[in-house]
Amino acid sequence: MTKHTEYIAGLKSAIPVIFGFIPVGIAYALMARQAGFDICETCLMSITVFAGASQMMAVGMYAQGAGILAIILATFLLNLRHFIMSTCVMNKMQDAPKPAKIASAFGVTDESFAIFTTEKEHSSLAYFLGLVTVTYLSWNLGTLIGAVTSDFLPEIVTASFGIALYAMFIGLISPGLHGNKRLCLLVLLTAVCNTLLYLVIPQSWALIISALVCAAAGVFFVDLGGEDDNR
Amino acid sequence: MTTAEIILLILGMAFVTYIPRAIPAAFIDKIRFGKKLEKFLMLIPYTAMTALIVPGIFFVNEGNVLVGITGLFVAGILAWKKAPVMVSVLGAIAAVFLLYLIL
Repeated sequence: MTKHTEYIAGLKSAIPVIFGFIPVGIAYALMARQAGFDICETCLMSITVFAGASQMMAVGMYAQGAGILAIILATFLLNLRHFIMSTCVMNKMQDAPKPAKIASAFGVTDESFAIFTTEKEHSSLAYFLGLVTVTYLSWNLGTLIGAVTSDFLPEIVTASFGIALYAMFIGLISPGLHGNKRLCLLVLLTAVCNTLLYLVIPQSWALIISALVCAAAGVFFVDLGGEDDNR
Repeated sequence: MTTAEIILLILGMAFVTYIPRAIPAAFIDKIRFGKKLEKFLMLIPYTAMTALIVPGIFFVNEGNVLVGITGLFVAGILAWKKAPVMVSVLGAIAAVFLLYLIL
């Protein structure tokens, strides 16, 4: 297939993601505006960072008075998963020159990773760029809509969107928990650990410590399906 | 924070988000993890997201713990029934919206 048809195929594969990214983009922008970011800052973050979970977490931490360093460190931790995802994506994308791969890595998200690595017919750079085009545009369109309408929406609507971040995290971790009791146990352990730490130290640091310590503990008792799978 | 500090924050976030994405692309032929390190990296999202949910979700509305519990319950059920992430998100928003209408 030509690069052009590969790109079009990528665009088409990403269509379902539009309906996920726009509402979550709106939710992020409403949170950011409520936290005190102006419209430009809200959009700038989506344009340059392009990571929904991290952006929501960041504006949430910001609203609670966390410092720059704590937010950046927490962002880094939450994004470590992209390291694994990008490894899988780049491993599959064999055809592309290295500079193009490095540039396209900006578009690795939970969704583009999931589509690209499970796709059987396509493995080209052009196809991946098709996915990234749609996901990136939907994310920024959602952000723009939320940022601009934030001032006009009734408070009850913006307040309701506050739950979006948590619901997204719940939606992201649940698939992995199915049929994995030990991973469920680790999640429970982390929840208890973070709640206890939360009572004695600032929230942002409690989060970072619980995430690192509990993941380290989990290495010794959790079985992850497919960990031998190098894709 | 001042505008300059917010810009600094955003650029810092952009940097630490791009680095983990770009490194595998640059060194794909050289990267080999040990089993333990790989497992640690795969567990981080679970522990980090759990710590983001609990206890924060209970304080999503400062005055009423019921809001967080409703969201947790609805998103939890939907996600457990393997609904797409977007459905869990919209379901939780709708449930909390209805709760606010009643309250």
